[in-house]
Amino acid sequence: MLNATAASAPWIEIDRLHLNRGGRPVLVDLSARLSGRAVGLVGANGAGKSTLIGALLGVLRPKSGRAAVLGLPLPAAAREVRARAGVMAEQAGIFPGGSGVDAVAFAGMMSGLARREALRRAHRALDALEVGEERYRPAKGYSTGMRQRCKLAMSLVHDPELLVLDEPTVGLDPPGRAQLLDLIRQLRDEGRRVLLSTHVLRDAEGLCDELLLLDAGTVSYAGPVATLTQPSAGRLVACGDGLDEAFAAALAAVGVETLEHDEERFVFASRGDADLAAFWRVAAERGAAVRRLGAELTTLEDAVVDLMEAGNGRR
Amino acid sequence: MAGAERQPSSLHVLRAITARELRLAWRRRLLKLLFLASVLPPVIFITVILVRLFVERSFGADLDWDPMLRFLQFQAGPVTLLALGIGTPCVARDRAEDVLFLYATRPVVPWHYALGKLAAVALPAAALMLLPGLLIAVLRLTVTQDLAAAGAGLMLLKMILVAAVMGWAYAGLTVGASSGVKRARWAMLLAIAFLFFPDMIAQLVTFGRAWPMGPGSAVNRLMESLFDVGLDWQGLWCLALLMLYGAGGAWVSVHRARREMIP
Repeated sequence: MLNATAASAPWIEIDRLHLNRGGRPVLVDLSARLSGRAVGLVGANGAGKSTLIGALLGVLRPKSGRAAVLGLPLPAAAREVRARAGVMAEQAGIFPGGSGVDAVAFAGMMSGLARREALRRAHRALDALEVGEERYRPAKGYSTGMRQRCKLAMSLVHDPELLVLDEPTVGLDPPGRAQLLDLIRQLRDEGRRVLLSTHVLRDAEGLCDELLLLDAGTVSYAGPVATLTQPSAGRLVACGDGLDEAFAAALAAVGVETLEHDEERFVFASRGDADLAAFWRVAAERGAAVRRLGAELTTLEDAVVDLMEAGNGRR
Repeated sequence: MAGAERQPSSLHVLRAITARELRLAWRRRLLKLLFLASVLPPVIFITVILVRLFVERSFGADLDWDPMLRFLQFQAGPVTLLALGIGTPCVARDRAEDVLFLYATRPVVPWHYALGKLAAVALPAAALMLLPGLLIAVLRLTVTQDLAAAGAGLMLLKMILVAAVMGWAYAGLTVGASSGVKRARWAMLLAIAFLFFPDMIAQLVTFGRAWPMGPGSAVNRLMESLFDVGLDWQGLWCLALLMLYGAGGAWVSVHRARREMIP
């Protein structure tokens, strides 16, 4: 397990957490300290993401170990954590029986707002999410996009300092998705903490500064996203024509190691300017057309897939 | 961030859940009609008292008949239907829409949820039994003057007991049934079955000599005990049975909430 340190005080602290469900261990010896403004919670299906969210809200009680959110110990301060958090749950719908604005106002009342104030804030939250007159229609007939907006409004209505978002962009069309992500980014920049559980790693990469990767109930990675996506030191990738086996042999003859190559890309080790100069010299000698050369960049998706495959390999 | 900074009190949460259920119920035309129907018996009862008084004063005839018990037994009809109408959809609807976990993401614990739903049935049911009674007591004290203050006070105490026990029992019956299934109509059938089958089975087994076993007959017998024959063992049994129906329904609701208020 990798564990990078963060500069500010951690707001999620998990220490050797064990949690069983239905007699089966779901979270095993989980430890992490996360302090990013937005933390991405990722992992394969069944990795324990929803269970961890349940534990961090104090809804599920661990068998052993300790957890704290916003400095509040769980499950002792579960109600206070839930009063200070806004949760958008993937599997749960909208409070049924009334209109969208009714459901949002009721969510506010559940979190301690008086009815009149809850109704005022419900309208404000729905305005911010650009929900128009549809808010007065029965929530039962809402489209997926409207449902997602309404669910986000329910999580925001009481102005929480922590947002727990479980797959917020599921079912949204591309413009709706972009709009929702912009809004979450804005909320994060206003100072709210965000815990984003998602399978869409591009969303996590764009929003989160820290990542908690779960693998079969254990922590596979906990730390900054940047650590996973930073350019690989000493690895350069070139694209072009003539970068073949013979080119690799010519590079080896001048002391530059080829790491991998195929029709798309040619990756070699570069320890400094001398290796780079040697690469260009060999390319000129052999008439290779190099169209692009740069440091090898890793996307979060690549890094996470690598970590998950490494985890599978260990099992 | 100036949100709800402290966790809300249990009372606030309970009130919010109960008020929402009542608002949703009030939107249904059938329930409005039932509510209005439950206001009719007191009006009829007041008319009966006034006629009786007129007959006594005009012809000097003492009818020696107190229609209070009949009024209460009649009033129990619309109140039962009202309880069925409010209680049977309240948990089943939440379960069908998978929103029990939503409650858990708020500062709500399972007993808040269950008690809030129970109160949404118990309060209007008890009020509809009690408020007309209060009105009648005041009327009999002031206009008809056929009851002394002590008599009116005792009558009110009995009515409070009947209203509270009936509200609690019917809340347990309907909300408990609603917690057992995911469709309101199944919950309605289940609650109706509990209203009738326990008595039917008991009567069959004992060849018609059983004490009340269902909530409907228990309410009826309790009223007879309090307003006619006097509180006897059978009356006490009915009181205990009704409390048990309420507690059973509350237990089922809390148990259901505990199981489903999780991710």
